[in-house]
Amino acid sequence: MIDRRFISSFDAWFVVVVLLILSLGVLSIYTVTYTVAPKAHGAIYTKQVIWIFLGLIVFFIAASIDYHEIARFSTFLYAAGVVLLILVLLVGRTGMGARRWISLGFFDLQPSEWIKLIVIIVLARYFSNRSHPRGLSLLELLVPVLWVGVPLILVLKQPDLGTALVLLFIPTVMIALVGLRSRTAGFSVLVSLMAFPFIWEIFWNVLKPYQRNRLIAFINPAVDPTGHGYHALQSKIAIGSGGLFGKGLFGGTQSQLKFLPEGHTDFVFSVFAEEWGFVGVLVLLTLYFLLIWWGIDAANKAKDHLGVFMAVGVVSMLVFYLAVNIGMTLGVAPVVGVPLPLMSYGGNSILTTMAGLGLLLNIKIRRFMLFY
Amino acid sequence: MRLLSGSTGRIIIAGALVAIGFLGVIVRLCTLQVVEATELSKRAERQHEKSVTLEGERGTIFDRKGRILATNVEVPSLYAIPSLISNRKAVAPELGRVLRSDYRSILKRLEGNKNFVWIERKVSPAVAQSVMELGIEGVGILNESQRFYPKRNLMGHLLGFAGVDNQGLEGIERAYNKLLQGEKGWAVVERDAFGHPIFQKGLDYFAPSRGKDMVLTIDEVIQHIAETELDAVMEQTLADDASVIVMDPKTGEILAMAVRPEFNPNRVESQHPELWRNRAVTDPYEPGSTYKIITASAALEEHVANPDDIFYCEEGRMAIAGGVIRDHEKEGYLTFREVIQKSSNIGMIKIATRMDEERLYRYSRAFGFGEKSGIDLEGESPGMIKEPRYWSGRSLASIAIGQEVAVTPLQIVTAVSSIANGGMLMRPHLVSEIRDANGHVVQTFFPEVRRHTVSPETAGQMMNILEGTVSKRGTGEKATIPGYRVAGKTGTAQKIDPVTRQYSMQDTVSSFVGIVPAEDPRIVVLVVVDNPKGLAWGGTVAAPVFRNIAEQVLRYLGVPPRSQERIVLTSAG
Repeated sequence: MIDRRFISSFDAWFVVVVLLILSLGVLSIYTVTYTVAPKAHGAIYTKQVIWIFLGLIVFFIAASIDYHEIARFSTFLYAAGVVLLILVLLVGRTGMGARRWISLGFFDLQPSEWIKLIVIIVLARYFSNRSHPRGLSLLELLVPVLWVGVPLILVLKQPDLGTALVLLFIPTVMIALVGLRSRTAGFSVLVSLMAFPFIWEIFWNVLKPYQRNRLIAFINPAVDPTGHGYHALQSKIAIGSGGLFGKGLFGGTQSQLKFLPEGHTDFVFSVFAEEWGFVGVLVLLTLYFLLIWWGIDAANKAKDHLGVFMAVGVVSMLVFYLAVNIGMTLGVAPVVGVPLPLMSYGGNSILTTMAGLGLLLNIKIRRFMLFY
Repeated sequence: MRLLSGSTGRIIIAGALVAIGFLGVIVRLCTLQVVEATELSKRAERQHEKSVTLEGERGTIFDRKGRILATNVEVPSLYAIPSLISNRKAVAPELGRVLRSDYRSILKRLEGNKNFVWIERKVSPAVAQSVMELGIEGVGILNESQRFYPKRNLMGHLLGFAGVDNQGLEGIERAYNKLLQGEKGWAVVERDAFGHPIFQKGLDYFAPSRGKDMVLTIDEVIQHIAETELDAVMEQTLADDASVIVMDPKTGEILAMAVRPEFNPNRVESQHPELWRNRAVTDPYEPGSTYKIITASAALEEHVANPDDIFYCEEGRMAIAGGVIRDHEKEGYLTFREVIQKSSNIGMIKIATRMDEERLYRYSRAFGFGEKSGIDLEGESPGMIKEPRYWSGRSLASIAIGQEVAVTPLQIVTAVSSIANGGMLMRPHLVSEIRDANGHVVQTFFPEVRRHTVSPETAGQMMNILEGTVSKRGTGEKATIPGYRVAGKTGTAQKIDPVTRQYSMQDTVSSFVGIVPAEDPRIVVLVVVDNPKGLAWGGTVAAPVFRNIAEQVLRYLGVPPRSQERIVLTSAG
């Protein structure tokens, strides 16, 4: 399977970009947590390093198994994912008001992180099996809606708003790529509009009070600056006080002195921005842009529909996380707990992101290959 | 590869959307990190920097010989960090029990949303010790500088006191608070989101400066003499209150200012605020006969009478507008000189009637009555003298003998000092020097002449007359000090009975003002005893007090008594 072309098309610079982002992430995590006493499994930053090594292994596994093979197991993967999501609701560990994790002793598995990748693969296979000169018909649209609907409801039940939103975003992008027949499109829009009040009602009821308050605080942060608007405000202060060149490593007063909450997870971008300043953030954003660009390129050059859809799914997942997370830290998006890919602390996030990137590499290196 | 119709186009659109997204992020970052950076940095600093005020140490107060009258000691203060105390409801009563204070007010402070609260400031070391023995987490001790007055009651009214925040609240402490206090310093302490201080920034530190030291004109020994004698007379006569002022007539320097009932500035809270008052400066009284010095000086200066003019004293009883004036002794014909020496009211009124009301008023004002003396204390009373247009038919007669006017002891002693020094009305003062922390003199207060009252000739004549008062012929016989020439005047003022609004025969203010030595006055001493029981004439109550004080002070100051030879020589010459 591995031949010379495999090696030659292996984009070394892409791996360098990924490793650079990962290292900057570890550094930022280190600066905010080095004073925290290590818990059971070592300090937070050492655990993150371990996750990164595991992530690299996952990355190479995801890259080396032909994505067509992976797609063939997609139904099985999907079933496993849904079972795990149900298991979470039954025996999951509760943390921060949500039931999201299955404790495996050494590792808290977060099925909602993995279901996103599985949904991407399932949908990619579904869309690739259909020729769509004029776009999807209404009946053809119903199938992906069901594929997504089941895990979406289970995820909302936890509740995990961030994952729920990404589960809506990914299929939307993929369907936009496939195209809809004009009648289908018109019908979908009509149904969506009619259903919106009901869906909103359900959505709003599913939200925990703190989530509702965050949305309210996003619309009007001055409502309660020390309460629900606190995260967003502190993040803005941290980023803004970083200025042009930043306060230097360990110099970030807002994150160091714990004014900024969740500095090693959801708000790691703010920590970075405070310490490295505008110039540093420009470098980081360039790295992320290269990553996305490389993903779009992989989609563009994929040799078959399956590759295109998979790549588009993964890229849209990354773009969604980047946009929502950075938007949240900049105070232009509501505070939804989504991690910054490759930088935020967390095993599930690192592993799934690395698996997704592995898929992208998978698609890219097999663009010249004949399969079967 | 063209797999999907228009897919390339869509991917380009997707790429463009991503690029626009990135641009949006950069624009927003630019807003935050470049445009609003300064503002947000300030906000960040406000959050994590807390400026802490550092109190400067209060300056020391010395007497004129450099004896320490007020200084500072370190005492423990109890504080709490409420966030560290888990069961506040249980802790508060425990603290209340040890501190013997209301636990509810402690609980209220503990349950407020402050990071740091004082439980009780400036407690005794023993109390602090027993609180620490409770072993409550989040309760601790900080040493604070507490004002201490080593001389306790001595001149307590004069020194006043400083409050818990080192703020001068009474007396010298208040009047010179700004100088004594020094300048506050501050330090910027960084704190984290939980309010815990992190470290002190090297740059943002402004050391507090120690307050200036004060050197008073007061002499501790003279003050001590005055207070001892006051205590004796208070005990003897069971008077309501009493005061003594000793002034250097040539400079206006106050050498002693004593007030009873006593006041200990070390224990302010336990003493009624009425006791804090320096009555010698704040409380006007009707001076009675001591005021005759003013009337007589005015008459002499205006040449309406000579010391040897003779006045008929109506055998001790004279009808005037709306009443009868009595003398305590029936007198017939007396010279001007004798009128004062025997303190005849009738004689004095007859002298005064040779002047018009305007002139008596003018001289009263010239001697400083009805205005603040300008002493360096707060809360001084200007006293009260009505303008002539408000005078009744008997006002001239009343004022001439020291009624219908309200004066402070300080005003009397200052006015009489102007007779002693040849006609200069001085500004009384208490502070002679201000020194910085290194002992260098920053400011010196020199004697200040407010105005001239009478000519040196008139003053000399008055001194001569007043010397006669302190003799076998005069009312001030008991003020005689062997070996010294003493000039002075007794005073007994009836107090207005608040019930009947009439002058009471029982309630009196007995006073004596004396100048010694008469030939070269060194001190003017006023003794005022309010409402002495028993024999209340100024000559019997106040004069002996004056004598006792003056005698000791003269000895202390080393003023030599006149030798017998000099008397012989003078009389021979």
